[in-house]
Amino acid sequence: MESHDGRADDPDEGGMNTAVSALDADLLAADARATPASMNAFLAQVERRAFRMAELNLGHREDALDAVQDAMLRLVKHYSDKPAQEWTPLFWGILRRRIVDLQRRRKVRSIMVGWLGGRDDDGEDLPAWEPADTGPGPLERLNDAQSYADMAAAVKLLPQRQREAFMLRVLEGLDVAETAQAMGCSEGSVKTHLSRALQRLRDQLEEWR
Amino acid sequence: MNAPDNHFERHARELYREASHHLDPAVVARLRTARREALANRKDTSLAHRTLQLLLPAGAFAAVAVVALFMSSPVQRPTTVAPNGVAPMVDVDGELPPDAAAADPTLYQNLDFYGWLAKNGDSEASR
Repeated sequence: MESHDGRADDPDEGGMNTAVSALDADLLAADARATPASMNAFLAQVERRAFRMAELNLGHREDALDAVQDAMLRLVKHYSDKPAQEWTPLFWGILRRRIVDLQRRRKVRSIMVGWLGGRDDDGEDLPAWEPADTGPGPLERLNDAQSYADMAAAVKLLPQRQREAFMLRVLEGLDVAETAQAMGCSEGSVKTHLSRALQRLRDQLEEWR
Repeated sequence: MNAPDNHFERHARELYREASHHLDPAVVARLRTARREALANRKDTSLAHRTLQLLLPAGAFAAVAVVALFMSSPVQRPTTVAPNGVAPMVDVDGELPPDAAAADPTLYQNLDFYGWLAKNGDSEASR
């Protein structure tokens, strides 16, 4: 069982977070998260990364698009009146919950399919949950396609909360407080999950070092 | 934390950003459509919200006005009907005299006669 409380007593955790903070300062200086001028600008800024994050979590393009679309709708509907500075953690939090919802639905459906012997109501075989994208995908156009595929495979193996902490904190560059808000947990818990995620990823992606 | 760890995280973030920039055009188009739909939904919602904001006070004012109208209107006394179906006699003392402009002018010319007739007629009838 994964711990969800806010213990942050790993010996190397402080150093890891210092490194992430240094990375934030470095990368975010170039990609400054200036306050977006409008909701349209904010969504245009995050929509592609949101799709990548949903795709990494769900492993399914259509589900990822659904999750991003739903997150956009909910953010606009419920939080347009909030200050623009709050949109970032709100959006990633909404997207995270939507991803979890889709994963749960998928799990329930797979159980139902198991009970029904792999056939739906019409007696037809249900499609596999992770159909391969056979067309020329974006990965083929990337110079670092293999590296990204390796990272994606390693990230998918992480436990849910560690994966969320890694993606929001390292990939998306949220600070600890924003990550905690998006994940719905304490800042200490974020640090713990991130520390464990980084440790696992370093072990799996040894060749990156 | 040493430099290689920093490199690890930097590399992961750069790959993620790079992959996000190089999306399938079909996916990009669908994301753009989703964004426009979300923003259009906000406009519809805000229009409905504004309409509701206007209609609510107007409706409340109308309700208050109707209640005030009912409360300020004079109370109509129910006309009681006698058990035998005959309407009770109305107290004529409380009635106003006929309007002088609308009344027949000969009534006022022969007022003395009508006064005498009323006086003697009542006394003849009482005999």
